Amino acid sequence: MSGTIRARLLLALCLIVAGCLATGCVGARMGVSWPAVGLVMVNGEAKVSLAYNNDVAILSPVNGAPLRLINPLSGEAMRDSENNPRDWILRGSDNDGAQFHSLPIALDDETMIVAANNGRLLKIDSVLVEVTRSIPLADKVVANLLAADGVIYVPYQNGGLSALSLEDFREIWRFPTEEGIWATPLLAGDMIIVASIDHHLYALDRDTGEFLWSVDLGGSAASTPLLAKDRLYVGSFNKSFFEISLEGRILGFYQTENWVWGTPAMDENGVVYVADLSGFVHALDSERNLAKIWSSEVAERGIRAGPIVYQDRVIVASRDGKVYWLDRRDGVPVNVREVEERPELLGDMLLLEPSDSLDIDEPLLIVTSVHDGRLLIAFEVDGRQAWVYPR
Amino acid sequence: MWDLILNPFVTILAWLYAALNQDIVLAIVVLTVIIRFLTYPLLAKQQESSRKMQQIQPQLKKLQEKYKGDKEKMSQAQMKLYRENKVNPVGGCFPMVIQFPILIGLYQAIFYALAATPFQLVDLSERLLIPGLDSLIPLQRMWSPIPQLVELLPELDLTLAPTENPHYSLILPLLVLVTTWAQQKLTMATTGQKTTKKDDDDDDDGKPAGGQAQMMKSMTTIMPIMFGFFSLSFSVGLSVYFVTSNLIGIVQYSPQGRAVLDRLFRKKQTDEAPVEIVLEDDEPTRKPRKRRKKKPRKK
Repeated sequence: MSGTIRARLLLALCLIVAGCLATGCVGARMGVSWPAVGLVMVNGEAKVSLAYNNDVAILSPVNGAPLRLINPLSGEAMRDSENNPRDWILRGSDNDGAQFHSLPIALDDETMIVAANNGRLLKIDSVLVEVTRSIPLADKVVANLLAADGVIYVPYQNGGLSALSLEDFREIWRFPTEEGIWATPLLAGDMIIVASIDHHLYALDRDTGEFLWSVDLGGSAASTPLLAKDRLYVGSFNKSFFEISLEGRILGFYQTENWVWGTPAMDENGVVYVADLSGFVHALDSERNLAKIWSSEVAERGIRAGPIVYQDRVIVASRDGKVYWLDRRDGVPVNVREVEERPELLGDMLLLEPSDSLDIDEPLLIVTSVHDGRLLIAFEVDGRQAWVYPR
Repeated sequence: MWDLILNPFVTILAWLYAALNQDIVLAIVVLTVIIRFLTYPLLAKQQESSRKMQQIQPQLKKLQEKYKGDKEKMSQAQMKLYRENKVNPVGGCFPMVIQFPILIGLYQAIFYALAATPFQLVDLSERLLIPGLDSLIPLQRMWSPIPQLVELLPELDLTLAPTENPHYSLILPLLVLVTTWAQQKLTMATTGQKTTKKDDDDDDDGKPAGGQAQMMKSMTTIMPIMFGFFSLSFSVGLSVYFVTSNLIGIVQYSPQGRAVLDRLFRKKQTDEAPVEIVLEDDEPTRKPRKRRKKKPRKK
């Protein structure tokens, strides 16, 4: 091998190594957030909505397939330029490269809005799945919006909360926070409650945005508080979990093993279930200032999403790629299901129960992963896998 | 496994942030200085090995010419040359191999510590090894070079690229480029690499020394441009790390800096001339073959 060739090969090697060094190609995350899953009403029926990175999709809860677009005049399936049936998927790549981590909200049978991570609020014709208007926002959005009584409350990734009129999308008020808001605001009577990365839980007047009170949680808070029995339950990154009155007084406190990121759940007996990022689940008594009932190390890795209580079980999904069904009495796992390839289960879970608007016969548990090949995995309550999206 | 390196770095960075009045830039600078200082013995070994290799290059060239057709003898002669001069041909690689994960760990620690999105931040929960540091999250990512002149020089968001920050932050990629270039130049000077015309000519003849020199020359041009380009799209916080690391490298490679560090690490300078070797069938210059063969028999 000549010196020149060898020199070039060595140079190429050096550049690859330097590139690795520069990009730190050993597992650092470059994404923004995990998939968001929820329910949205489409033509009077509840459907599963998903927002993740490039796509917003509306899916059938029966089989996880995207809804087919139907021409309202002819009643026939709409087709694209290659004559394929069109699915209800809004692509960010077709809309200024928007990324989505916030769920769409249906305003009526033909209109939805969705906040994008590029600082735009998109108004969508939900029949044709086309953006009809793009409204500039104050900042990027990574959490779900809250819509109530003609107003949408928009939490911003880098700080602040805005109230916008749903009629003309003008800003009614804006409340600044020092750091971002990564959790959906909560409506509590005349108050908007919002947790911020700046360590505070804020209560604001819902009409004026006027500051009412705040509680220092000692660490960042990235979850929507649970409102139950006129009390708020919220965790923070300071390995702390709080019970707070609607006047902003701390009534109870519990030390967890690691950060608390998910919204807790409460059963009919007033037992609060909270999971942390060390893989622990804690059962706390809301009648006794969050006294511990049990604490169980359930998963190998952290539990980001909040638990779900269903009948006599507490269900959690972990970053170790498993879903755990725990006995509510003692936290012992009674059923464990491993998702194929064990992707991190980071997004919130969704429990669907049969109802008039939801076309399912059996309850379904939907968990979200960050694996592009299985963003949503639906389980029946006994742990059997029902469907996977995308298929 | 990788967490064993990364997590302590993230923890130390967060601890330094707390100790240094919650100034993340200062914490990055101090941690980079500490790591570069602690890894100096490895760097010095690498430099020493490169210098020795450079010193014996003329002899290696002679051997290559002499044993052009005999690979076995060539390798024997090379091994003897290395042995006599106490040179380990891969000795320069080992310290580099150890340094690399450390530098990548440091780089990633900064990346994680400056987490600005849910996806990045969720990992941090598993990386802080000292209790109490959790309350510092998120680390303050807004930074002003001169707080008194914040109107003139607005705060930088350390998690964003220079192109998304105030215009003056574009000086950072330029600084990365210049300091990377200066460090490369000094590296070559320290290890005795040359990029003269003669080396280039040698390279055309297929000589390894010339090839190496050409590679170094190309690296001196390409690496600074590449790192400068990376810095345009990477977060400003990482540019701070690149510049600090390069400046320390410049100090470490400069003669004055090396002298101070060598004294600190009690390392002796070894600028002895390389030992020449005599092989059994070696042919000393202008000596007949017979006499050269007899020489070892007398031993």
